[in-house]
Amino acid sequence: MSALFRRFGSLIGMAAIVVFFALALPDTFMTARNWLNISQQISMLAVVAAVMTVVMVMGDFDLSVGSMASLAGVVAAVLFVQGWSVPAALAAAIGVGLIGGLFNGVLVSVIGILPFVATLATLTVYSGAAFLVSDGKTIFGRDIPATFSDFARSGMALGDIDGRPAIFPALSLVALAVTAIVWVVLEQTSYGRRLYAIGGNAEAARLAGVPVTVLRLSAFAFTGVGAAIAGLMYASRVASANPVQGDGLMLTAIAAVFLGMTLTENGQPRVLATLAGVVVLGVLDNGLTQMSVDSYVREVLVGAIILIAVSASALGRRGLFGR
Amino acid sequence: MSTKPYRTAIAASVLTLFASGALAETVAVITPYLAQPGTQFYVEAFEGRAAELGWDVNVIDTGGDVAAVISRIEDVVTQGVDAIVINVDPAQVGAGLQAAADAGVPVVGMDAGSDPLLVANVTSNGYAMAVETSVYVANRIGGAGNVVMFTFDPFPPVQVRGVIADAVFANYPDITVLDRITPDVSDGGIADSRAQMEAILAANPEAGSISAVWAAWDQPALGALQAIEAAGREGEGIVITGIDANPQARDAIAQGGNFEASVAQDFAGIGATAADTVARILAGEDIVASVIYVPTVLITSANVTE
Repeated sequence: MSALFRRFGSLIGMAAIVVFFALALPDTFMTARNWLNISQQISMLAVVAAVMTVVMVMGDFDLSVGSMASLAGVVAAVLFVQGWSVPAALAAAIGVGLIGGLFNGVLVSVIGILPFVATLATLTVYSGAAFLVSDGKTIFGRDIPATFSDFARSGMALGDIDGRPAIFPALSLVALAVTAIVWVVLEQTSYGRRLYAIGGNAEAARLAGVPVTVLRLSAFAFTGVGAAIAGLMYASRVASANPVQGDGLMLTAIAAVFLGMTLTENGQPRVLATLAGVVVLGVLDNGLTQMSVDSYVREVLVGAIILIAVSASALGRRGLFGR
Repeated sequence: MSTKPYRTAIAASVLTLFASGALAETVAVITPYLAQPGTQFYVEAFEGRAAELGWDVNVIDTGGDVAAVISRIEDVVTQGVDAIVINVDPAQVGAGLQAAADAGVPVVGMDAGSDPLLVANVTSNGYAMAVETSVYVANRIGGAGNVVMFTFDPFPPVQVRGVIADAVFANYPDITVLDRITPDVSDGGIADSRAQMEAILAANPEAGSISAVWAAWDQPALGALQAIEAAGREGEGIVITGIDANPQARDAIAQGGNFEASVAQDFAGIGATAADTVARILAGEDIVASVIYVPTVLITSANVTE
């Protein structure tokens, strides 16, 4: 019993949160429409958290993902203003993400700066670049092509639910696709296994012939591209772009990965566990809002729940709950 | 361990939720900008009026995150609130407004901007604000003299102010508009307005050749004031007016110099009127006028300290 709790305690806790809201909000929480809403609300965070998992697998961080998301959004919007087509502007914005990610990778793996320091600096650089590109302004209205902003409102038709048409949101599909790609890369390829090997012991991996420098560099490129995609999803959802709008994604994404780590057998970051962490954070926001819990109390509660989950997991691993 | 007491507790809390939901109307106020002083005035006044009406109000602040405003609108629509009030550009939260419209939940804007998906937007009347100051200028200079105007037509809310001042001054045969200046606002508007005003002062050196400066917002008025004081011409009785009554403008008016008047928006009035508008909608009234104006207040030395 206690072994079972130690292994699945976090999962039970997460399920308990869902059950609690299902009981407290009997008419509205466990509905298909609400879960479709939640899937859309967490889609941007899911993408950032999934690619954050790629670097956290190696024991690294990328603190610049939020400002990269903001930068990608304003780059696309400014190119829209200059008459670029939607696909060209999106490609350019994702290209900026790739370059920014590679730059992080060079700083961390080639030059050898601690990821915390390197990406803290590039956070500031990318954020400043976003202000420069946008002139500090919000780009919105007629400057944003309808085909771009309509994307976030579109989706796969699911027929009628409660007499109204329902869709599986396009943003949720993107999040699922990115999560699936990261899952395949991390869990099904030797590339992914090598990243886990670096996270286990970088020196041992190097001695075993793993090209540590190249792999770390490429992993950061992954994160940069993912952050840019999330920034574009955000810009599409709000039909506008400003130089700070993606900033909040970074800390929440790291929190989601940590929450996910409480689920895995040996405390390693796993992308599906990260997704579970993202869902829990989304469910808390959704459920507590529906219960009219004050927004500041909501923030305190979310932070406290993360702490409880991580503490319980840490205590469990140390065996304080008995063996 | 028995789970029974726990289950009873949950059931009790669920019952409480139901009971409170059945008694009162629930209204959600959603904004990314609660930390800003103006927004706090709106929201406090809204809550005050809502308390009188006996509503359950849930104020949701997303801390600057506009996408989260959409998410929270979706959540409260799912929750089944009776009405939603937003204080954010409606064009940016269109996805959320559509969700509310699909579910038949009315949304009212609190100084949010107009949008077909809002039942109404409660705000200040830019035309009326310009009437207050341009008429003040005309009366103060006895309907005769040369007036310098600072306007900014590229920004629609300020453009409407200029249109009104044009009409008022044109209605006085003895008032001449000496110049209609559009200052460069990239540095906030004060510095370039000051430079432009200095040029005009140099071109019109005689005392009395400039009777008044009418500015469509406070920054150019403050720039003109600096230019007049720097040129040592503050004793010529040049009347300056601005609009918005920002703290710097209030200071200048209180000092009793050339800057004589500005117009203040009634933030608390906007909040209370937003609540009244929600009440009308909940009572089943069809809101015909989708923009609802709250009167503004002319600020002069007589009331600047209030």
